[in-house]
Amino acid sequence: MNKRIYSLAGVAVLAASLALTGCGARTDAGTGGGSATKVAKIGVIAPMSGGLSAMGLGMKNSVDLAIKQANASNAIPGWKLELAAEDDQATPDVGKNAATKLASDDQVVGVVGTLNSSVAQVVTPVLAAANIVQVSPANTNPTLTKGADPATPKRPYANYFRTCTTDAVQGPFAAQYLLGAGIKKVATIHDKKAYGQGLVEAFTTAFKAGGGEVVAAETINPDDSDFSAVISKVKAAGPAAVYYGGEYPQAGPLSKQMKAAGLKVPLMGGDGIYDGKFIELGGTDGDLATSVGAPVETLDSAKAFVAAYNAGGYAEGYSAYGAYAYDAANAIIASLKTSLASAADAKSARSATVTDMAKVSFEGATGKVGFDEWGDSVSRVLTVYKVDGGKWVAEKTGELK
Amino acid sequence: MVELFFQQLINGLSLGALYALIAVGYTVVYGIVQLINFAHGEIFMIGAFGAFVTWMLLGRPTDWSVATSLLVLLPLMIIGGMVASVATAVATERFAYRPLRNAPRLAPLISAIGVSVFLQEFVRLFFGTIPFVGRIPGWPDAKSAVPFPSIPGISGQTIQLGGVLIQMPAIFTLGALAVSTVFLWYFVNRTKTGRAMVATSQDPDTARLMGINVDRVIVAAFAVGAALAAVAGVAHGLRYGNIDFRMGFLAGLKAFTAAVLGGIGNINGAVVGGLVLGLAEAMATTFIPGQFGSSAWKDVWAFVLLILVLVFRPQGLLGAKVVDRA
Amino acid sequence: MRTVIPDELKIQLRYPARAVGLVGAVAMIISVFLPWSYGHGALDDVGFSGSPSPLQLVFLTLPVLVVVLLGVPLVGKAKLGRWAKTVAWNTTAKTTAIASLGAVVVAMAAIAIELGGLVNIEVGGWVAVAGAVLSAVATIFLPDSPEPTLSRVKTARWVQILAIVLVLAVVLFSAAYALGMSDAGAFLVFAAILTGLVLALRQFGVFGWLGNASANNNRVLVVSAFAVAFAFPFTQNGSNANMSIASQVLIFAATALGLNIVVGLVGLLDLGYIAFLGAGAFTAAILSESAFSTVNFHPPFIVTVLISGTVASILGLIIGAPTLRVSGDYLAIVTLAFGEIFRITMNNLDGTDGPNVTNGSDGIPGIPDLNFFGFDFAQPHVIAGIEIGRFANYYWLMLVVIALIIVVFTNMNHSRIGRGWVAIREDELAAEAMGVNTFTLKLLAFAGGAFLAGVAGSVKAHYDVSVTPDQYVFLESAFLLAAVVLGGMGTVGGVLIGATILKLLPEKLRFFSDYRLLLFGLLMILMMRFRPEGIVADERRQLEFHDEDEELADEIEEELIAHHGHLNPERKGFEL
Repeated sequence: MNKRIYSLAGVAVLAASLALTGCGARTDAGTGGGSATKVAKIGVIAPMSGGLSAMGLGMKNSVDLAIKQANASNAIPGWKLELAAEDDQATPDVGKNAATKLASDDQVVGVVGTLNSSVAQVVTPVLAAANIVQVSPANTNPTLTKGADPATPKRPYANYFRTCTTDAVQGPFAAQYLLGAGIKKVATIHDKKAYGQGLVEAFTTAFKAGGGEVVAAETINPDDSDFSAVISKVKAAGPAAVYYGGEYPQAGPLSKQMKAAGLKVPLMGGDGIYDGKFIELGGTDGDLATSVGAPVETLDSAKAFVAAYNAGGYAEGYSAYGAYAYDAANAIIASLKTSLASAADAKSARSATVTDMAKVSFEGATGKVGFDEWGDSVSRVLTVYKVDGGKWVAEKTGELK
Repeated sequence: MVELFFQQLINGLSLGALYALIAVGYTVVYGIVQLINFAHGEIFMIGAFGAFVTWMLLGRPTDWSVATSLLVLLPLMIIGGMVASVATAVATERFAYRPLRNAPRLAPLISAIGVSVFLQEFVRLFFGTIPFVGRIPGWPDAKSAVPFPSIPGISGQTIQLGGVLIQMPAIFTLGALAVSTVFLWYFVNRTKTGRAMVATSQDPDTARLMGINVDRVIVAAFAVGAALAAVAGVAHGLRYGNIDFRMGFLAGLKAFTAAVLGGIGNINGAVVGGLVLGLAEAMATTFIPGQFGSSAWKDVWAFVLLILVLVFRPQGLLGAKVVDRA
Repeated sequence: MRTVIPDELKIQLRYPARAVGLVGAVAMIISVFLPWSYGHGALDDVGFSGSPSPLQLVFLTLPVLVVVLLGVPLVGKAKLGRWAKTVAWNTTAKTTAIASLGAVVVAMAAIAIELGGLVNIEVGGWVAVAGAVLSAVATIFLPDSPEPTLSRVKTARWVQILAIVLVLAVVLFSAAYALGMSDAGAFLVFAAILTGLVLALRQFGVFGWLGNASANNNRVLVVSAFAVAFAFPFTQNGSNANMSIASQVLIFAATALGLNIVVGLVGLLDLGYIAFLGAGAFTAAILSESAFSTVNFHPPFIVTVLISGTVASILGLIIGAPTLRVSGDYLAIVTLAFGEIFRITMNNLDGTDGPNVTNGSDGIPGIPDLNFFGFDFAQPHVIAGIEIGRFANYYWLMLVVIALIIVVFTNMNHSRIGRGWVAIREDELAAEAMGVNTFTLKLLAFAGGAFLAGVAGSVKAHYDVSVTPDQYVFLESAFLLAAVVLGGMGTVGGVLIGATILKLLPEKLRFFSDYRLLLFGLLMILMMRFRPEGIVADERRQLEFHDEDEELADEIEEELIAHHGHLNPERKGFEL
């Protein structure tokens, strides 16, 4: 019996190898054209379906725009850039498959993404193993660049960069603004997600250091819609403002319910609430948000981006992270200018692209683009926006020292 | 502290009233067909969207006077919500549950999960569009939260009672529960269909022999539950100012907990269970000291309560009609 | 398939119908050597004449099969002998012809969508459509064949074994081929062809025969199935993309098999099963050497696996003990609530709302790869000239885990405990009356299922590198349940098929991903309505779901006697 089983296993393996030979594709005739231009691809990993698809598609389109502009101006002589977009459905599992797919494609030299920090945590190792540079326009979790322990930072992945600022910059800027406006008693609320929690922690440290007092520190669940319990507790503490770490889907209703429950103080948040939808969902006049970079109206590069995007005929808006994604793609392209120049093929340029990223520096759509030794954005210009007459209005632009 | 207690009492009662309105639907259906209508949370969500659509169709009135808003707009929105939710519930019963009435018990429950996912996705993908035609201009899509209209006289209005602030939407929810309970009592005890429902839930076979059309009674049970869920949907919209396609999941789960708490199959139990659950949630976040009193744990406490009830009093607070028929 | 065409007409028309059908099939064969599209970007490039694409070659099997099925009976009844009735010639020809029409339509639709309009279909495409329509319509006019009796044919053992190996080889080839496809349209066409072939073979009676063959050679089947699964990474030529999907399929399948014990054997509906996978994953992550780990105890992986499984099964006991005493409906909702409790708790154990165990919603990233006595899972290895990458390493590990689960599952199924479980599923009161300790057995199933999920979770943690609470939401539990229901509750093969379908299709049909959940909901409703026993039906289950269908009951009884009759000689000839 046993002997037969082994021989059968042998047959099966044989059959397997037969199947293998059957996989061969026929020779690629007729396509390609045989021109001298070589192809390098820039990947995008972002949610392109599901609830966050608006942001993901905005990112994809912005990268597409950057690539088209680079091809049109022949930014890298002898090379044609292409877009390779993959949907991650905002889930780590799917994101990892997307990353593996891009890493297996020899023409991919860089990736813009992801939107979610949790997806980045599984995507980055895959890309790091293949030496592919990754520039995120939206991850704000500090551990991605500084490692587990903030006291002794250690960069986990050398291929990881980001164009957005981390929570460590926005929180203190908001604290300085509130202290400057004479507000000394603040309550904090966050949604327990990496972004919100990080914001509130950075805010609290800076606010206390500046002489302010945090009278209540509360949390909500990210999928909550009922905030009455939290509001009751916060109201009892009598703050002059509420600092919220999180995104607009909760922040809008929270602001509305706060005011309905008689807690009529401004709500302040980070760039996660700086969105028209925040006002639609209940953000009221007087609410505040910080966002990175100077206001679009004051920055020529930003105006150029918005104009080019609108002229590009994209079905979706560029959304919250479009400008960052545009800058991320341009950062990769800037690095490719040197790394591809001497490379025989796209794959061999991968590690040079990673090392050359550190030298990138230019004026992007969100302000100055460049990276420090951790891969974080060097941009420290921020703007406080205020809801006024149902619209976001720039209140104060400054640089965090 | 006393003020905080009364504030949370009001918060808890109004939240509980919302749970109670939904819980009635679970209990009525369970009492008759012994089916946990897992999709009932989605019926509640569709009720809220139905009310929203009615408001859109009325031309999105924002400047109606308080009197017309309360006497015309709000009733119309509630009726619109009821039409949507009752139609969905009856269709669900007809196509997803009725063919499975004699199947093993797992089948309708799994089908119900399918219905639940389907309805959520349907609203997410197709709200504000006409299939094969495209988006209706000016309508929001439901991929993220949709702002619920403000009703003059309710939205944003408050009453100050000493140190306790009572919001008008909370009063609306409690009032809606009171009115619905009276209607429900009348329906169950004084109408022919209602008494047929009671008879069927006590003994379906005998009821059938007595000439009761059991199919119709079951449809009526789904419809009654859906109508109350629509009221809850409107109350939710007024209370939170937003509705979204996911709101039925957690609310449905809580309402089921409330139904079990009160004794599933028992209509009064659903009301009591809802109020108790709402209170428990509000009080837990205020009076449990330390880290576990954070409001991030409130859902956990609600579900722990469910498990405790099943251990110590599986028939619920008021006693279930059926405890174990598996 | 019964048609409304009267039998007399069919008998009258049988020769012309056969001739037209043959013409149509030959037209399809010729079409493969003609270009189907003008552009070169459609499917896997079907724009060549005289040089069929791989997909077109696969398609070729269908019309060739039609030619064989229509052509062979032409030799006459006398020469066919008993083969005239053993297999269903006409009905299979009809099924195959209709299947090829389906495949052609899908192919043309894909070409039209990918290249933008029907104008892009070249002459070969139209020939294929015409041929397919011709043979499909013609074969409808053929007289129906009687039910095939192939399953009763006695064959030599070596033939059976060869057939099993052949089938598995085809499965391996198809899996490798399907995974390698980059074009969604081509994938759909391939799926249509495959479905058509499977339906045709079933109609022909092959499945009945194969079923007997595999029942007789169970061990061979299992061993060669594992050999084939083991060989799979060798077909990938070092590509990671497909191995990553394949290992996810296996992790998902392993978890679904664990759930299958609870749902399929004991009939307990667990809607929070993903929490046990999560418990295993979090335990393994915390005990790993990750820099984000919150405890200072990092045992070897073997120990971690056992601890993960134990933690999960303790959770199972905690949740099962109070709820398993009451009705099964409560269990469904309580497990659902438990799933939510788990997710929220993992979110809250972040240092602010509770002790810091899980880092809250950040979860625990940076989990190192496994390393067994110097065998580093992160490093690619070269075996027989083929590079075996990181994902293939995990794939093999998961294969071992799955083998373990299958051994537990089948042994349990045929043991005293397993029979007790089935008795509980069928009628709990009766089981209790017969002296089955229902509560203990249910608890055992619940905790055992949780243990297996915990084990799968511990591998998943290392494979995923990062563990976060938002991976363990209710929808994942629903997907697991769907895999069990779709494949067939209580079966091993079915659940494996169900898990593969549910994980593979979304990967290959990404353009459709926005509608994925909508279709998923619809599928659950339709499955319960029309085929509640799943793709692969457990015999006992099938009876349960169709108890009013006496014909089916008789059929199954007959088959049971045919299979197992020789075990009880005194029952031979027993009239039912």
